Amino acid sequence: MRAFLILIGLGLLAPPMARADENMLRLPQQVLGWKIDGPDKVFSRQTIFDYMDGGGEIYLAYDFQQLLAREYVRPNAPRIVAEVYRMASSGDAYGVFTHDTDGQSVAVGQGALYSAGLLRFWKDRFFVRLQAEDETAEVKTILMALGRQIALGIPQSGKTPSLLMALPLQGLIESSVHYFHTSVSLNIHYFLDGSNSLNLNSGTEAILARYRQSSDKPYLLIVRYPKRGDARAAFEQFSRAYLRETPTGNAVLRKLDKGQFAGGRQEETVLLLVFEAGSHEGAEKLLELAASRIKGVTP
Amino acid sequence: MSPHDKFDRVTRRNFLRGAAYGSLGLAMGIEGLARAGQDSAFAAEKPLAEVVLVRNEAAVDAGHLVNSAVVAEMLDTAMKSFTGESEIAKAWQRYFRPQDNVGIKYTRCSWHRIHVNQAVLDAITDRLIAGGVARSRVTANDFGLPVKDCTALLNVPTVKVHALTGIAVSIKNYINFAGNRSSYHFDGSSKLGETWLLPEVKGKTRLIVVDMLRPYFGPGPQINPLHQWDYRAILVGTDPVAIDTVCLSICQKKRNLFKGEEWLITPPPRSLAAADSVYHLGTSDPTKIKLTRLGWAKEQLI
Repeated sequence: MRAFLILIGLGLLAPPMARADENMLRLPQQVLGWKIDGPDKVFSRQTIFDYMDGGGEIYLAYDFQQLLAREYVRPNAPRIVAEVYRMASSGDAYGVFTHDTDGQSVAVGQGALYSAGLLRFWKDRFFVRLQAEDETAEVKTILMALGRQIALGIPQSGKTPSLLMALPLQGLIESSVHYFHTSVSLNIHYFLDGSNSLNLNSGTEAILARYRQSSDKPYLLIVRYPKRGDARAAFEQFSRAYLRETPTGNAVLRKLDKGQFAGGRQEETVLLLVFEAGSHEGAEKLLELAASRIKGVTP
Repeated sequence: MSPHDKFDRVTRRNFLRGAAYGSLGLAMGIEGLARAGQDSAFAAEKPLAEVVLVRNEAAVDAGHLVNSAVVAEMLDTAMKSFTGESEIAKAWQRYFRPQDNVGIKYTRCSWHRIHVNQAVLDAITDRLIAGGVARSRVTANDFGLPVKDCTALLNVPTVKVHALTGIAVSIKNYINFAGNRSSYHFDGSSKLGETWLLPEVKGKTRLIVVDMLRPYFGPGPQINPLHQWDYRAILVGTDPVAIDTVCLSICQKKRNLFKGEEWLITPPPRSLAAADSVYHLGTSDPTKIKLTRLGWAKEQLI
């Protein structure tokens, strides 16, 4: 046993690779001539940093469960890596998908983006990334075929987060929608502050979106808390820290620097926040529309 | 109060108060960075730090393949300019002696992430050897560099906008020298500068050579090819904060060009601010940096 451990320590014997659990997808053995190269790699919440040191936090900010990575090769053709991220819920698969929204929308799974040799899509609890080493004429065809084959192997569709229903549709910039839980994600998409004044955590749900209002592009942030008291505490903390005002009612709206308006409104367990609106009316309208829609949304 | 606490007080409102390009600096509480848009930025007459930027259009072809010979030429041009030496060997001998054990700390990720190109590493290694350092005394690695045994370090990072750190260049490149790496990603990575002051690291960095051939400006964590561009540059310097400040400025401009509006690098690069104001590793004030620009000038962005 001791000799075995020494060999592992010296790197002469690799410890056994983790195996995909029974809930993980079964990936194709080959696609249009591309075949599996090397053993699959499987990573958990505890080991994801072994796969992407310095990047695992983005997935851990969602309820990530397991990652399966497989490489496909064909002679004289770009290598392809397939990554399947199994999340605890379809909402979180959708959320991870919205982390980076740059790309061309394509029809794979429940939502997909293609960009120069990279296909990303989500379906049910799975977020899938298929990336080719280089983009060649046939790469897009291969990635789309592989993506559709993988998507077909996911038997059912998943629900999108119900909070999305609260987004007003008028003026919505669809590519600007991000769904997440924590300040790690918020601060990537819209750095608000360094102290998490909204008390975002794994138990909160948030949606950030941008709107076209005349020449302005305000942001709408919707946060749902587990309890009404949590929402109130966050509203007061945020108002004091960001707006320099202690709210007495359920709404605050202020003109800030450079003539931009920001504010918020509490609707039971939900906070509606608007930033960088060009006018008081524009900010108020966005909050009012969101407030009217959130009333019909149940968790 | 921790010196890092001031970064916690930064809010979006600080950004909004700043001019478009200087807002990062104002937000971080570093007046210097906020001066990045001034005429005197990167043109210091009495500089605290000098950085040389060399670009060559032929360094990366249309298929994104790196031309080793061109990269080697760029490195030579940069080193001659930075040192003022006309001979390459003498330029390298300014920083590395035959008796040194040189550790080249580069950034190496799997192919679908951002890593230092082999052409850059080969050119550096060849020139160290030509400068008199025996091959057996040169060790290049990302993980597992025997830093305790190294008498001199050569920092060779790539450039990427980073979802947790803001920007990852030379300061972040030493994160692997720390035991608990992921802990440095808390608090906006403001403590990354600590890694430069570890006993086995402190004072050993002689030179920084940045592979900015194909930098990354997207939200990561993995590559979206839309967010990687062929900037085709090599940078040389000795001040990690100044070098990272130059790279930050270039990436910020690239992001703005990509979106057609200001697309701030977020979260704010606290590690850069703290490396200056807390760990005193160098200057982030563009008005105290002299940047020498050589070669291909198209879309230089700085």
